[in-house]
Amino acid sequence: MSDDLAVAAGQDALMEAPVFGIPVKKLTMWFFIISDTLTFGAFLFSYGYTRISSSNWGAPFESGTIINGVIMSVVLVTSGLTMLAAVAAAKNDNKPRALRWLGVTMALGALFAILHLREWFKMIGEGWRLFQNPTGGAQQFGAAFFSITGLHMAHVIVGIIVIGVIAMGFRSGRFDSNHVETTGLYWHFVDVVWMFVFPLMYLMNAR
Amino acid sequence: MSAITAKREPGMGFYIAVWIGLLVIVGVEVALTYQHPSAKTLLFSLLCLAFLEAAIAALYLMHLKFEDPKLFWYLIPITLFLLAIMDYLWPDAYRILSLGALK
Repeated sequence: MSDDLAVAAGQDALMEAPVFGIPVKKLTMWFFIISDTLTFGAFLFSYGYTRISSSNWGAPFESGTIINGVIMSVVLVTSGLTMLAAVAAAKNDNKPRALRWLGVTMALGALFAILHLREWFKMIGEGWRLFQNPTGGAQQFGAAFFSITGLHMAHVIVGIIVIGVIAMGFRSGRFDSNHVETTGLYWHFVDVVWMFVFPLMYLMNAR
Repeated sequence: MSAITAKREPGMGFYIAVWIGLLVIVGVEVALTYQHPSAKTLLFSLLCLAFLEAAIAALYLMHLKFEDPKLFWYLIPITLFLLAIMDYLWPDAYRILSLGALK
């Protein structure tokens, strides 16, 4: 009987209204963002716990590292603005403009990752490892720093790839402005995480 | 996005102002750090500024302010609660410190 009703009333009769008035993809992305927020929250909490319980944590970051961190922050925040521009253009059906701003966002994300990797290689060259601290301070510093910033950097790199895939799909017509907006949500989340990582991992450990 | 929320959304000029505001907050954080306050004061100040930045980003960059209010109330309070209850272990961290166990 249910099959006959579906045929008679049309498939739409069995579809519920969108929850909170937004597409399911967007709501799913929000759920992912919340779960990832808790993941990063747990990482940052465990870093704080380890730091407080260590008597010799130290403050190894010189001004050069902080300046690099500030530049990375400016780059990432600016990429949030360019992503907004891309979403606005996509919603206005301005495909060339949207693709241009998506490209700029990807470039800024790549610049962030390059600056970050440069910082990593510099620290590794100085003797920093997961459980090795060349300054003689707490050995857990390396593990905390590399794991938290590494997880964030992985999110940035995945985000760059996803933006590229969405941009190509949007250009071909496979994806629409809702896909661009949902990707924008993820990218802004990556930005928000850095707003906690930079002060807690860099500024709290500044000399 | 519904037609109602689409009408309320501001233009790029507003978002540029938000961008500048976020950069100003980053600058304040760095300036505060080099005042060399106590670790507790610095941590409290940086966390407050970080939450302010996150709130601005969530409400405006992620458009939460322009969505159905139920979405905000469904997602955010429980997330903040879960983040807050992670803090129950801080006294244990100070206990470990007093033992001198982690060097």
